[in-house]
Amino acid sequence: MTLATVTTRRRRNRQSFMSTPGGWLSISVLVLMVLTATLGPVIVPNPSGLGTDILQPPSAAHWFGTDDLGQDIFGQVVWGAQISMAVGVAASAIAIVIGTAMGLLGAYVKWLAPVVTTLTDVMLSLPMLPLMILVTALAGPSVTTLIVVIGVLSWAEVARLIRSHALVVASMPYIDGARVLGAGPIRIMLRELLPAVTPLIVVSVLLTAARAVISEAGLSFLGMGDPSSWSWGRILLNAQRSGVIATAWWQTLFPSLAILVLVLAATIAGIRYNDSRDPRTKGV
Amino acid sequence: MLSYIAKKVFRAVLTIWIAVTVTFFLLRLLPADPTLLVIEGDMTPEMQESLRARFGLDKPLHIQYGLYLAQLVSGDLGVSFRQLAPVADIILARLPWTLLLAGSAFLVTLLVGIPLGVHAAVKRGKAVDKVVQFFGTTSNAIFVPSMAILLLVVLGANLALFPIGGSIDPDTRGVAAYLSLFHHLALPLFSLVLVQIGPYALTLRTNMLEVLGEDYIKSARARGLSQRRVVWRHALRNAILPALTLMGLQLGTLVGGAVLTETIFAYPGVGRLIYESVQQLDYPVLQGAFVMLAFTVVVANLLTDMIAMLLNPRIRT
Repeated sequence: MTLATVTTRRRRNRQSFMSTPGGWLSISVLVLMVLTATLGPVIVPNPSGLGTDILQPPSAAHWFGTDDLGQDIFGQVVWGAQISMAVGVAASAIAIVIGTAMGLLGAYVKWLAPVVTTLTDVMLSLPMLPLMILVTALAGPSVTTLIVVIGVLSWAEVARLIRSHALVVASMPYIDGARVLGAGPIRIMLRELLPAVTPLIVVSVLLTAARAVISEAGLSFLGMGDPSSWSWGRILLNAQRSGVIATAWWQTLFPSLAILVLVLAATIAGIRYNDSRDPRTKGV
Repeated sequence: MLSYIAKKVFRAVLTIWIAVTVTFFLLRLLPADPTLLVIEGDMTPEMQESLRARFGLDKPLHIQYGLYLAQLVSGDLGVSFRQLAPVADIILARLPWTLLLAGSAFLVTLLVGIPLGVHAAVKRGKAVDKVVQFFGTTSNAIFVPSMAILLLVVLGANLALFPIGGSIDPDTRGVAAYLSLFHHLALPLFSLVLVQIGPYALTLRTNMLEVLGEDYIKSARARGLSQRRVVWRHALRNAILPALTLMGLQLGTLVGGAVLTETIFAYPGVGRLIYESVQQLDYPVLQGAFVMLAFTVVVANLLTDMIAMLLNPRIRT
């Protein structure tokens, strides 16, 4: 295969990814979200203090209305985007590194395989939210705690996905060839297996980040978030605490929509990326 | 068959052991000294020591671990910092509500999700299929509290079809009590089912599509069996098995969802207890709740595996 054919194939993949609404729309939404998270806090002031307009529905002055302290919900959602995105990206990076390492070790190192599969099954079957709550409560709620806790407890699905595909690759003749040529296990895992499962890692990054955003929202909603920074879960918690869930619909609707749109965009982008690489579904 | 059961039971015991061990070391190794929370600044050193002794924190780590395991086996989960009552009693009083909520959510999800998945597969590419696929992708992206709040506001507060909190009307007796129970259960249940059902239906759809292409399905059709019989008797039986394993693994997520939805609806289960304990930083209750929920999920998972075994002749023999 020459370099030219490789690049055209890549371009074709990119084209088929962007050719459907699912592809370009989800990527546009993700880019918009990243821009909101990075530039938003520079433009929109951090909601703080007590305002005079208490529990106002959406208006020209307050696009998303105000809460029971008179703070602007739009500002809270914009500032919350920063935390949700940061936790989503960083936690998913941790989960991907651990999960990929576990998946490759479980697929190639024979004596480690039962340990890895058992550990993965245990992690998958335990109720993660109560465990995350316990660990976060003990470590003290902060953005760093959330990232580490969610990241370290979310690798199991990545490991299972990577392992099942690395197993197929590991039994291919070219891996035997590499071994005969004198490549050690570490070289084979990093230079032969890792490139073969890289497309799956791209999908995993998106899906794991989506799940991490949901986990962060859940923990913040239960009061385990960073008390000094805004997050979408915390806006919902504030509504719950001040007892306005049934009346101030704007305080729950907008952060809920933000979570839904971000998670959905990441999920659909992941699925589309997977489909655009699959010759059977390409261009569908 | 016996070796299959033995393997599954061993896996379950191992999972519970890992869960409690992780919990133990987390509690002891993380910087927060649990005694600092009950020990007040004006306590004398003797009082602090007696408190440490009462919670067993004056002994070496491996002895503490042994004592902890022995306590767990005898059903002792420690003492709540805030309520000064045994954690096991506090949780057991709440657990039936969570079991009722999560258990009925699991059943309803199966009863609705399976036909949805089957219909989508049979009508592949038709409108039903498109709706199921769209809904399957979307429902997983919904944050449980968002769904719960939506139902609470629309069906509970505005249309007043269902109560917006609590678990039962205390003044009712007999049949009316059961009706009240289901009436209160409805909204927390719907919010869990609507979020969970997507992945179930999608998995079953994928499995059905695979099975419907098999030769034995073609031969069943060729023998002149009705479409209904082929789909629901011959194909579903094989499509449901891999789905069942996945559903067992989803139980942990289901319990996590129950924790969130109970909080919104003030449903008196373990989830609401966790929310309350977080506000009061009651670590023993949080720890006990995790251990009890992990135990429940692992046992339920074991039951799912046993049902899969009964349905699958290849494992049974």
